[in-house]
Amino acid sequence: MTHAVQLSEIVKRYGEFTAVDRFSLDVEIGQIVGFLGPNGAGKTTTIRMIMSILYPDSGRISVLGHPRAIDVKDRIGYLPEERGLYRKMTIDQTLRYFGKLKGLHRRDLRRRIGECLDSIGLSDWRYKRVEALSKGMSQKLQFVATILHRPELVILDEPFSGLDPINMDLLKDLVVDLRRQGTTVIFSTHQMEQAQRLCDRLVLINRGRKLIEGTMEEIRSRFSSRILQLEGEGDFASLAGSGGVLDSEFTTGHARLEISAETDPDVILRRALDIARLSRFEIERLDLHEIFIKLVGDDDETPDFSDKPSVPGGLK
Amino acid sequence: MGKIVTVGVREFIETVKTKTFFLTSVILPLLMLGLIFGSQGIARLAEKEAVPTKHLAVVDRTDVVFDVLQRFVEESNARHPQRKLAVQRVTGEDANIETLRERAAGGEIYAYLVIPPEATAREESGEAPPASMPSTASAGPIAGAVQCEFGRKDGNPEVAERLRYMLNRAIVEVRFKQADPPIDLARVRKLQEPVGFRNVDVKTGQETTGDEMIRFMTPFAFMFLLFMGTMTISQGLLTSVIEEKNSRVVEVLLSAVSPIQLMAGKILGMVCVGVVLMSIWGIVGYGGAHARGMGYLVTPYHLTYVVLYFIPGFLLISAFLAAVGAACNTVKEAQSMAAPLTILTIVPMMLWWLIMLNPSSMLSIVLSYIPPITPFVMILRVCADPEIPIIEVIATLVLLWLSVLFTIWMAGKIFRVGVLMYGKPPSIKELIRWLRYD
Repeated sequence: MTHAVQLSEIVKRYGEFTAVDRFSLDVEIGQIVGFLGPNGAGKTTTIRMIMSILYPDSGRISVLGHPRAIDVKDRIGYLPEERGLYRKMTIDQTLRYFGKLKGLHRRDLRRRIGECLDSIGLSDWRYKRVEALSKGMSQKLQFVATILHRPELVILDEPFSGLDPINMDLLKDLVVDLRRQGTTVIFSTHQMEQAQRLCDRLVLINRGRKLIEGTMEEIRSRFSSRILQLEGEGDFASLAGSGGVLDSEFTTGHARLEISAETDPDVILRRALDIARLSRFEIERLDLHEIFIKLVGDDDETPDFSDKPSVPGGLK
Repeated sequence: MGKIVTVGVREFIETVKTKTFFLTSVILPLLMLGLIFGSQGIARLAEKEAVPTKHLAVVDRTDVVFDVLQRFVEESNARHPQRKLAVQRVTGEDANIETLRERAAGGEIYAYLVIPPEATAREESGEAPPASMPSTASAGPIAGAVQCEFGRKDGNPEVAERLRYMLNRAIVEVRFKQADPPIDLARVRKLQEPVGFRNVDVKTGQETTGDEMIRFMTPFAFMFLLFMGTMTISQGLLTSVIEEKNSRVVEVLLSAVSPIQLMAGKILGMVCVGVVLMSIWGIVGYGGAHARGMGYLVTPYHLTYVVLYFIPGFLLISAFLAAVGAACNTVKEAQSMAAPLTILTIVPMMLWWLIMLNPSSMLSIVLSYIPPITPFVMILRVCADPEIPIIEVIATLVLLWLSVLFTIWMAGKIFRVGVLMYGKPPSIKELIRWLRYD
């Protein structure tokens, strides 16, 4: 078995609406794979199908070599997008409960809970009730509850949403630790930056379809055009007509030009110096968000990347 | 199975820790006992409370009854100093019935009483009155008897009863005196002395010392406790499902257990809560009844039936409410969705009297075969009449268990889909569609 998860041509429909459309994907063991896409792209539905919480209308799924995740639930850690804890239970009771449900033995539980709480700095809170925790703390607690039983495969649905920068870094470190231990991680996010930095492979999803998949470099190499950022006094508008400019955007004192791979940026810089007093000139590569927008391209709707969860379940 | 037990244990512990459980397990039976044993005490307390003297105006057209009546009223006042009556004879202008009605209506007097002249002039020949018992229990008119007009604003039966009793005694006394030859009243009274009843339980031969009312109310108490136990705990299950949905714990749980395991675990936990609750009540009831020498009230026979009917009844209702909880997002939505069941379960609460008076009537039998209320109706029937055919017990239990299986199957389907659904609650049509998902 070299693949942790294999999806082939899975389809999920809700009446007229196709939430996931012929989606195929191979996730190798030990990789961190990011599902990227706007809200409502089908990320959560796909993840729920991997977890056998929902079932695809057609297509095949293999999770850790089994057709249904139910059979290997104890080897998977899942942090859903819609997550919560029992408020009246203590942190120790909560972890004990989830640990037991994941098939951990009583004798391992105590030690494992201690280790996990240490790693997120919540040891002092062990016998406090969950309702006493701050939002960040309970998110960290949810994360350790997910990995308490040392799963081989960890699936995180929007793990970073709503976290402050410090906790976000802590969580990222924990994810990197998981990879070091050989754990396969799949996570979904609509925040492109997180994905760019963490993932071995990226899967860009929109409207239930896979747009592109690969390492950051592979994806970038498909989009070899570059971005020129110019700032200064003068009217940059005439630069739009220069050879090799694919796209341009002007505001007062600022120009953003996309040029093809073959175009020499120096030519543009010289022309710019003729028409304006430059204070800034930068050559950038397309970031994920721009690549995404390009891929979605002629779609009439602007994808919704706002930091709010899409309607969960979506069964209508 | 291990996971079902883990879920069940948590559900059990969390429920038993709550205040609701404490209230249900301790306060409710106390209330029940209070209701049965305390009602007479309360009545006695009420008797001790002094009420203002009630003034009555009497129009005595016989001219002879009033003095005797007044004597009886005085005797009665001596016995009940808290509830005095005062009678005053009115004559002439004041005896106008219209005026008296106005005075009573205006609250100046409590009531007026008119004794017609023929009240004492009872023909000794002629037809004897029907040989039925002299009715003291009902205040209704006696056919052929002389009618005295009694006018007042309220309808306090206690006052009317006392007055009627005294008036009758007064009139009878006058009639005896006027009889020719006169009859020795004291001797008649002696001959009329009533006998008492000593109540004995047929099984034990033991004197049923307590009030007969307690004996009569016991089946109701069994049903009521069964009802309260089932409803409060299964309501707790409903709330717990909704809470898990709202706090978004449910999907975290579903990563470890299947929806069916989750539902089964929750129901299992709640059944255990129910068994604990029933055991507490059973032990307290059994012990309490025996300690007070009323062991015949709570016997192993009764308790066996309580267990036999409680478990399937509880499973049925809790599976139903688990499904309702899974389909809804707020307790309010769930209550309106569960309303048909709630209304149905009230039926035996309303008809218990009829079922108990006649446990083998058509009504009782029909109600026994409506699964959600079978346990309540059957508990009433078997407690009220130990001669209920065993075949009926078996038939109702089989039907009950069949509907338990069906409901759990249905609840599982609805639970699986519903538990991840947010937004508006599903319509009946949608629910039926969920049942068809595989």
